[in-house]
Amino acid sequence: MQLSKQQIDYCMECGVCTGSCPVAMELEGFSPRGMIKRTLGEPDGNILQSRDIWACLSCSRCSDRCPVGIDFPRFIRTYRNKARQKGNLPKFSHHGQFHTITAIQAKGVKQDRIGWAKKAGKICEKGDYFYFTGCITYYDVGFKYLDLNMIQSAENNLLLLNKTGIEPVVSNDECCCGHDAFWSGDDDTFSTLAEKNMKTIAAAGAKTVIFGCPEGYSMFREAYTEKFGSLPFEIIHITEFLARELPNADVSFKSKVKKTVTFQDPCRLGRRSGIYDAPRDLISLVPGTDLAEMEHNRENAICCGTTAWMECSSCSKSMQKDRLKEAEAAGARMIITACPKCQIHLTCAKKNTDHNIDIMDLGSFLAENID
Amino acid sequence: MSKDFNPRILTFACNWCSYAAADLAGVSRFQYPPNMRIIRVMCSGGINPNYILKAFEKGADGVLISG
Ligand code: SF4
Ligand code: SF4
Repeated sequence: MQLSKQQIDYCMECGVCTGSCPVAMELEGFSPRGMIKRTLGEPDGNILQSRDIWACLSCSRCSDRCPVGIDFPRFIRTYRNKARQKGNLPKFSHHGQFHTITAIQAKGVKQDRIGWAKKAGKICEKGDYFYFTGCITYYDVGFKYLDLNMIQSAENNLLLLNKTGIEPVVSNDECCCGHDAFWSGDDDTFSTLAEKNMKTIAAAGAKTVIFGCPEGYSMFREAYTEKFGSLPFEIIHITEFLARELPNADVSFKSKVKKTVTFQDPCRLGRRSGIYDAPRDLISLVPGTDLAEMEHNRENAICCGTTAWMECSSCSKSMQKDRLKEAEAAGARMIITACPKCQIHLTCAKKNTDHNIDIMDLGSFLAENID
Repeated sequence: MSKDFNPRILTFACNWCSYAAADLAGVSRFQYPPNMRIIRVMCSGGINPNYILKAFEKGADGVLISG
């Protein structure tokens, strides 16, 4: 969305955005309000050369609170493509390997994307439900060094979906939703991927697409609808689907160990999609589990520190460590999240520290506690 | 796969051992298939996963790391 000049004109310069921004608290001189002002003054000016346009996490804390509804992260995103053309690139994390994997998928590659699903549960090739796995299959390989077994989340999601009585399509032709390309200003790659996914879903004949990852869900919700108009299928995040279906399904839960847990609201699920209750309802299905809220929760939750595999910095690290401290202060022994990236980033931050808290994805938490 | 598949293989060769060996092969006029393109690196430990992925993105069929 390119905000019109008029919409930006609504900015009252109240500074609520900068006051809400976790990056502004760490990175000296970073100010969303200031950036709006600068771009208004000189739309093609030095904003395109600045590092600040890459520093925004698109966590949407600012836009959620802006009194006139300015979506700052979408606003700054529109400058990222122009900045790339001027040679101002983001600093890619993990040597840029995940952006390359995305680029390879956009070019087209023979994938083995469903091997895990065939082993883990029942799937089909065509049907009403499509399970959009997301890039977790690639993260599984990339994050072995953190002792993360990322594919387990997808396996457990599939197991839970099977428990609700559905056998979804899991497709070998699915590709990255384009989230990271989109938010890092690589509009061409995003468009190619989006078109491929629309074809794949159409070929499967799906009426409902269930997303295992909040990023994919938010991309279809915002960017795909903007590109293609209203989508010819329903989209739903797995937490909402399970919160609706599991209570009626033939499955019950029993806490193996009684413990206090907390929930990390992923930015894409929370502020960008407005889903706060479904994951909490799911946690409450497991008896003997106490959900303790962190000081900053729901709309006020703090981002896991980086997005779109770029610009991981000391600022990210300090946000992540603060988050671990908040969880411990709430008395939690486990942080549950519904986003693979939150899981990766918080696990990475925990490494080599004295923090003694488990980090787990919601699907795996539920699957572990099936009676 | 057809019999005349000619893969393009990108090789990262360490300056101190395998690149020297490739060099020696050249100086000794040994023949080796031209499918292989060599990039000299100062240490094979300096290769990160993205070098390999980039090679595939740019069209390599295989990547050989030697060091
Ligand atoms: S919160 Fe909204 S109105 Fe206030 S300075 Fe930021 S963008 Fe402008
Ligand atoms: S989206 Fe998040 S990181 Fe970006 S300016 Fe707003 S509050 Fe700061």
